[in-house]
Amino acid sequence: MIKLTINGKEHTLDADPEMPLLWAIRDLAGLTGTKFGCGVAQCGACMVHLDGDAVRSCVTKIKRAVGKQVITIEGLSDNNNHPVQQAWAEIDVPQCGYCHSGQIMAAAVLLRDNPNPTDADIDIAMAGNICRCGTYPRIRKAIHTAAELQQKSLK
Amino acid sequence: MKNTHTKITSGVIVMALLLVSLVAFSFKKDGANVSDYMAVPDKKKDSIASVKAFQKVYSVLMSPRCMNCHPKGDVPLQGEDSHLHQMMPQRGKDGKGLYAMKCTNCHQPENTPGLHMPPGHKDWHLPPADMKMVFEGKTAHELAKQLVDPKQNGGKDLKKLVEHADDGLVKTGWNPGEGLKKPPLTHAEFKKSWIEWIEKGAYAPAP
Amino acid sequence: MSSTTDISRRGFLKIAGLGGTALYLGVFPSATGAEATIVNAGQAAYQSIELNAWVYIDTAGKVTFVDHRAEMGQGSYHSVSQILAEELEVDLNDVNIIFGQGDKKYGSQVTGGSSTIRMNYKNFLKLTATAREMLIAAAAAQWGVAAAECYAEHGHVIHKKSGKKAHYGELVVAASKLTPPKDVKLKKRSEYRLIGKPLKRLDTPLKTNGTAIFGLDKRVPGMVFAAVERNPRLRGKVKSFDASAALKVPGVQKVFKIKMLVFKTYREGVAVVANSTYAAFQGKKALKVEWDDSGFEHINTADIYARQLENVKTKEGLFLKKQGDPDAALAKSAQKLDLIYQTPYQSHSPIEPLNCVAHYQGDKVEVWGPIQAPDWIQDALSEEMGLKRENVIVNMTFLGGGFGRKAFMDYPHEAAVISKEINAPVQVVWTREDEMTQGPYRPGITYRCEASINNGDIDALKFRMSGQNNDHWRDPKNKQQANRSTSEGFLQPYYDSIKNISFAEVIFETPIPSMWWRSVYASTNGFAYESFLDEVAHAAGKDPMDLRRQYLTDERSQKLLDKMEEISGWKNRKKNEGFGVAITECFASTVGQIVKVSRKAGGKVKIDKVWAVMDCGWYVNPDIVQAQVEGAIVMGLGAATMHEITFTDGLVDQKNYHSYQMPRIYDIPPIEVHIMENAEDAGGVGEPGLPSFAPALTNAIFDLTGTRIRKLPFKMDEV
Repeated sequence: MIKLTINGKEHTLDADPEMPLLWAIRDLAGLTGTKFGCGVAQCGACMVHLDGDAVRSCVTKIKRAVGKQVITIEGLSDNNNHPVQQAWAEIDVPQCGYCHSGQIMAAAVLLRDNPNPTDADIDIAMAGNICRCGTYPRIRKAIHTAAELQQKSLK
Repeated sequence: MKNTHTKITSGVIVMALLLVSLVAFSFKKDGANVSDYMAVPDKKKDSIASVKAFQKVYSVLMSPRCMNCHPKGDVPLQGEDSHLHQMMPQRGKDGKGLYAMKCTNCHQPENTPGLHMPPGHKDWHLPPADMKMVFEGKTAHELAKQLVDPKQNGGKDLKKLVEHADDGLVKTGWNPGEGLKKPPLTHAEFKKSWIEWIEKGAYAPAP
Repeated sequence: MSSTTDISRRGFLKIAGLGGTALYLGVFPSATGAEATIVNAGQAAYQSIELNAWVYIDTAGKVTFVDHRAEMGQGSYHSVSQILAEELEVDLNDVNIIFGQGDKKYGSQVTGGSSTIRMNYKNFLKLTATAREMLIAAAAAQWGVAAAECYAEHGHVIHKKSGKKAHYGELVVAASKLTPPKDVKLKKRSEYRLIGKPLKRLDTPLKTNGTAIFGLDKRVPGMVFAAVERNPRLRGKVKSFDASAALKVPGVQKVFKIKMLVFKTYREGVAVVANSTYAAFQGKKALKVEWDDSGFEHINTADIYARQLENVKTKEGLFLKKQGDPDAALAKSAQKLDLIYQTPYQSHSPIEPLNCVAHYQGDKVEVWGPIQAPDWIQDALSEEMGLKRENVIVNMTFLGGGFGRKAFMDYPHEAAVISKEINAPVQVVWTREDEMTQGPYRPGITYRCEASINNGDIDALKFRMSGQNNDHWRDPKNKQQANRSTSEGFLQPYYDSIKNISFAEVIFETPIPSMWWRSVYASTNGFAYESFLDEVAHAAGKDPMDLRRQYLTDERSQKLLDKMEEISGWKNRKKNEGFGVAITECFASTVGQIVKVSRKAGGKVKIDKVWAVMDCGWYVNPDIVQAQVEGAIVMGLGAATMHEITFTDGLVDQKNYHSYQMPRIYDIPPIEVHIMENAEDAGGVGEPGLPSFAPALTNAIFDLTGTRIRKLPFKMDEV
C-alpha cells in the first residue's frame, strides 16, 4: 500500500511503486482531469504540481511522490478561480481543451515564480506543452491577462 | 601538423604549478583517504604524458554524454548529434531549469525505461549561470585551461578536481538512457587518464 | 450556466421520467442539408418535452439543447447552442447542453467537411422559431389574447399590454397540441441578439478545471482496461503469440487475439485486459508476438515518390474536370511552365490518443468515446456484429482533438470485440506510439502542374496528381473514378476566367491506410496549386496579387483581395521584402493568407507575421472563427515545416512527438485574422484556414530569398 497526498487528501493505493503517477491519479484515485498525451514527457498534458514543481506525471513514478504534496488541475483552486483559470476563460483559450489541464498547471508555476512574465519568459515556461489545436497565441495572451489579474488580487 | 604534445603555453604551466602546490598543501592539512589522488612530486611531472592523458580525457568530455550538459548557450544539447534539446529548456540561474521547465520535471532520479525517454539522476542539471563550464566548441587547449581554473571550474582545486571523476552526475555519462551511446572510454579508463593528466602536471595541449 | 457534461441523452430521459403529453417537432434533415419538414408528431413521450431533436423543455422550464455533432475543439457544443437559443428566445446561461447519441433523427452526424453549422443552421433557425411561435400561441390561447400581442423573451412568453408572463415550462404541454405554423418569420442578421457576437464558449469553464469528460475520462461500473499490440503493417496478421510474460504482470487478467474492422479490411492484434491502464500497457510490452507479413508490399517512402513521379510524368490519368483544351493550348504555347510539387504523409496526432469504452450485452452494444461519426459507428458495428442498428448505442464524449482520425470505426469496433470476449465493459487505450504508427494518414501526393502563358496571360492550366485516394478504402468501385477531391482547394471563379483547365488523378495505391486529415486534399492540393500560380505570376511578369485580381473577377473575391491588401500593407511593400500570398477554397469558404518573412541575424529565415482573411459567409461566433483560423495556421505550420510520416519496409519511422515534432509556443508567429462580413450562405470554419498557409509561406520565402520550395516539409533553418 502506498500513501499519496493529492489535492490535500490522503489516498491509500494498492499500487506498484513503479507505476507512473499519471495512472495512479487517473485510474486509482479517480481524478481524470490530468491527461495522458504521449507517455514520454514530450507533450505536457499530464503535468501536475509535486511540491510545487510542474512534473510530468507520465514519467514520474509514484514512489517519488510519497511524502510530497501532489496538486492536480482539480485542486488548483476551489472554484475554477485561479488567475490562470480566470484568464483562460476571459480569453477563451481552449479549443478541444484536452491539453489545457497541463497548460494551466505550467502557467501557474510561471506566474508564481515570475509575476510579470515577458513573451520570452512565456516561451521558456510553456515550451514543454503541446497544443495540437494550436491555441498558442491565446495561451500567450491569457498568461499576460492572468498576470494582471494576479497583481490586482494582491492589491 | 603541429606537435601538440610538446608545445605548452607558459601560462598554463604557471597555473598548473600553482595549483599543484595548493593541492599538496591541502593534502597536508586534511590528508584523509587520498590514496587514489595522491599529489605527485614535482619531479614526476611529465608534460608529454600529461597531455597524452588529456587527449583521452578530452575524447570523453567532448562526447555527447558529457558535452550535452556543458553547452555554449543556455540550452542543453541532446542526442548523439548534440542538437539543441527539444523544447529549449533554459539553464536558469542555478542550472536546474526555469518555471515549468525544470530539469527534474522530466529527468527522474533514475533513467526512465524505453527509447527516447528522459535519462535520469537525482541531481540532473546544467552548470549554473555564473559558472557555465562550457565544453561545447572548446579546443583541447581551451578546455584543459578551463578545467584547472577555479574561477571557471566551480572553485575546484586539483584535489576536488581529481575527486570530480567520481561525481554522481559525471558517472551518469556511463549509465545513459536506452539507445544512447556511452563515452568512448570506460569510466575506469577515463578516471585513470583524468588522474594521470592532473598528476603529471595538468598540462594543456598546445592551442 | 449549469452544464451537464456527461449525461447521455438516455440518462437525461431517465432523469426526466415518463408521463405527460409531448410536443414533438420531427425534423429529418437530409445529409445534404435540404430544408427540414416540420410535423407535429404528437407522440406521448416524456415530461421533459422534446420540442425537436435538438431542444427539450421540461414543465419547470428547464431547457436542454442537444449537440448532435462531435465537439473536438471546433466549437459545435457552443455554436449549435448559440444558434438554437437565438430564435427560441432563451438565455444561453440557462441552458443545459448534452451530446446527442447516434440517431437517424439528426440526419448526418459525421463531424467532417466543416459541415456542422453550414449544413444545419437553417433548420435550427426554422425549428426554434416554429417552437417559439407555438409557445406564444399556447400562451395567447390561455390568456384569451391575440398571439400578435405576445412576444417571447428569456424563456418566457409575455403579453405586451397586460404584462402577463408565463415561462416555457408552463406552456409546453398546451403547445404540443397545436399544429406547427408554416413559414415562421425569421430574424434578419441585424436583429440577432446572439448570433454574430463573440460570446464566451460554454465549454471553456469545463476545460479549465478538469471537469470536461473526454473519452479517456469515461468510467462505467465494472469497467476494466485494455491495450492492444496491433500488427504494425495494416494488412499483416498474427501468426502466433506468447502471453506467458504478459500474464505474469500484476493486474493483467486476460490476453487474446482480436481483429478489428478498418473500412473493408481487418487489422489483427493481441489484446491485453487488465485492472488499470498501466497494467494493460505493461502487459502489452511483455507480449511476444510473431507477425505474418506475407502477401503484400512493404513500401518505402522513396519508392512512393518515385512511382508517383513516374505516374504524373507518363500518364494522363482520370479526368475529374476538363474545360476547353489545355493540351492544345500547351502544344502551341509561347511560354510554358511544367513543374512538380510534392507533399508528405501526415499523422493526425490528436492530443487525446484514441480510446473507447464498450459494453457488449448480448443483443446490444453501447459505446462511449471520442467519436466523430456516431452514425458510421452504428452502421459498422451493427453490420459487423449482427446487431440491430438501434441496438448499437453510441455516446459521444468531448474529443481531445479529432482532425478526421476519430471519424474511423476501428477503435470502437475493437473495444466492442474485446468487451464481447470478456463479457464486461472495457476501456481500450491506444498509446501515442500506436496512434502514430498505425495510421491512417493523410496521403502524400506528387503533382505535375503545367501552364501556358501568352502575352502575360494564362492560356491554360493543366493539373495532374498522383497519391492515394481515401475513397478506395470505402468502396472498390471508386477505383474507376478520379479522386473527387483532385481540385479541392482551387477557387471556383478561376473556371470562369481561364478558358482551358483540367484536373486529373493518376491512380496510385499502397497498403498504407489513408484518410481525411484537416481540410483533406485541400491541405496538400493548396500547396501545389497556389505555389504554381505564384510561379506563373513571376513567369508572366506580374505581381502575384494582381494575377489573382485578374482572374478572380467576381465581386466577392475582389473584396477579399481588397481586405488582404489593406490589412497587410501589400501595396506598400518593398521589392523582395519577403511577402507571399495564397488563397484557397474548401468546404464553401475561402481563406486568403499573406505571410511576411525576414532574415534573422545569422541569415536564417523567420516568419514575422501572418495575416488571414476568412470568407465563410454567414457565421455564428467571430471569436470561434478566429480561433479556428489561428489553430489551422499553427497546424499548417507544423505540416509545412516540422513533421512528416515516412516509411521503411512498410513500417512508420516516427513513433512519438520526439520524431514527429509539433509546433511549440516559441514557433508561433503573430497571427491576425479578419472575417469578411457579407450576406452569403454559411461556409465551413474548422478546416478552410489550413491550406493557404503553406504556399503563402513558401511564396514569401521565394520573394525574400529567390529559393523556390516545391517539396514539403522543409526546415526553416535550412532555407
